[in-house]
Amino acid sequence: MQIYLPIAEMPVNVLTILAMGATIGFLSGMFGIGGGFLMTPLLIFLGIPPAVAVGTQSTQVVASSVTGALAHFTRKSIDFKMGGILLIGGVAGSVSGIFLFKLLTRLGQIDLVISLVYVLFLSVIGAMMMVESVRAIHAARGGAVPTRRGGHHSWIHGLPFKMRFRRSKLYISVIPPILVGFFVGTLSAIMGVGGGFIIIPAMIYLLRMPTNVVIGTSFFQIVFVTALTGVLHAVENFAVDIVLGFLLVIGGVVGAQYGVRAAEKLPAEQLRALLAAILLLIGLRLGFDLVTTPDDVYSIVEVAPHR
Amino acid sequence: MIGSLKYSIALALAAALLAAAGAARADQLVTDLSEHQIAIRSNFTGTQILLFGAVEARTPGTRALNRDVVVVVQGPNAPAMVRRKDRVAGIWVNHDSVTYPAAPGYYAIASTRPLEVTMTPETRQALRIGIENVDLGTPEARAIDGTPQVLQPEQENAFWKALIRNRQRERLYANVPGGVTFLGQTLFRATVDIPANVPVGLYTAKVYLFQDGEVIDTISSPLYIDKRGIERFIYRMAHSDPFLYGLLAVLGAAFAGWLASAIMGRP
Repeated sequence: MQIYLPIAEMPVNVLTILAMGATIGFLSGMFGIGGGFLMTPLLIFLGIPPAVAVGTQSTQVVASSVTGALAHFTRKSIDFKMGGILLIGGVAGSVSGIFLFKLLTRLGQIDLVISLVYVLFLSVIGAMMMVESVRAIHAARGGAVPTRRGGHHSWIHGLPFKMRFRRSKLYISVIPPILVGFFVGTLSAIMGVGGGFIIIPAMIYLLRMPTNVVIGTSFFQIVFVTALTGVLHAVENFAVDIVLGFLLVIGGVVGAQYGVRAAEKLPAEQLRALLAAILLLIGLRLGFDLVTTPDDVYSIVEVAPHR
Repeated sequence: MIGSLKYSIALALAAALLAAAGAARADQLVTDLSEHQIAIRSNFTGTQILLFGAVEARTPGTRALNRDVVVVVQGPNAPAMVRRKDRVAGIWVNHDSVTYPAAPGYYAIASTRPLEVTMTPETRQALRIGIENVDLGTPEARAIDGTPQVLQPEQENAFWKALIRNRQRERLYANVPGGVTFLGQTLFRATVDIPANVPVGLYTAKVYLFQDGEVIDTISSPLYIDKRGIERFIYRMAHSDPFLYGLLAVLGAAFAGWLASAIMGRP
């Protein structure tokens, strides 16, 4: 069953999109990830213009992160103050990311930059996850517990503008969270992702927040940053396809339900290794496309995207 | 008296005109399109337009031997930028570009026989039949950083060929010899494929009648391709009121997320 997407201006198979949404939703429910960094490359492989893929994907991230944030809100595992500070950086990052996106579009290099950033992040995160899950599988077999090095006080404590975050039991400078928020906001605008895969490790290892508030707080700030990114993509690039977004959200919401349930029953470490393999494969594929000689070195670029 | 003289002069003039017309174009075209409007709705996956017509013989008795019909369907002109990728540090990067200010978004030819058989290259050029004979405007070459540059004619030619090749691959430029078929002596029909990725706008379907390699009649009819229904509504709103549109998209997504958690929250 085909449906014509009004903004992407192409017909797609409804079932394909729903299945993709459901699969990514399943993985996101299972691993507690937004899934944006899996969905955007898949949409691009499907032939959706990269700008539309990124713009539309941000609406899907809004849906899944609202679900996540509400779950954590009821568990009271959100540090609103820290979330707010991250959000300040996130808003600035999102706005600057959108302008970077526009500039790169005008230069005709946006597709390249999206691919490059994805190759970089997918391979780094895929490799890290792979190493970690293989280590965990080994540890489970051998019975040895992987030890984590205790943190010594870092340069972060020397920074000014300190603030007390009661929920996180922290007294740190607001500069690192603002910078982290800014970085993730920029990535969100360029990659169409929530950025949980950056912000969560940053909160744990850089800001040293307690793990029980990390995920909820990241969901909280992702909701608002991706919402802003979505609106900005619609206003600045006319790149949000509401029909595509709707299909992705439907698939994603349904998939996530099963993902959450499946996560309780299935061997998590093996699945994590599988996810890592998927990330590495997508990264490899994107990287391969960048280095192999294209079939036609000439291509047509839309000049003025339908003003 | 004077009135009747005037009358007879007018009559003679009309007869002379008719005779002249008859000499200039022995035969005349009558054509119509199966539809003058193509609606892009949510189920649009491309379509086919049917053009049918007849050659009205003005000089009965003459047998139409070397008679050909050529149908050209052309879409709205728009700037098209062609970019060449070059290897930079092992990665293929969009490099030089050439922008053609008035490239037709769609250009299809259907003909009874291959164009090379029907007419000389000079005729094709004079009538601007065939995408390679269409004026795309003055090309503008730029380097990777956007600064204007001057290209060698053969380099520029490569860009021009690439534009046509890329559009042909997307089925936006097509040439279908045999796409027009005669049903008997006078009736003919032509089918032209409209792929799903066509640009919207005003199209023209121009029909040429050739006799022995010379054009003896042409007729053109308009064709509108436009989004309709929900497709049109969404597209319009996204462009005329992008802030509201974006807000709706995001709020709708947030609502879906809330709905999911509301359903999930109830065990």
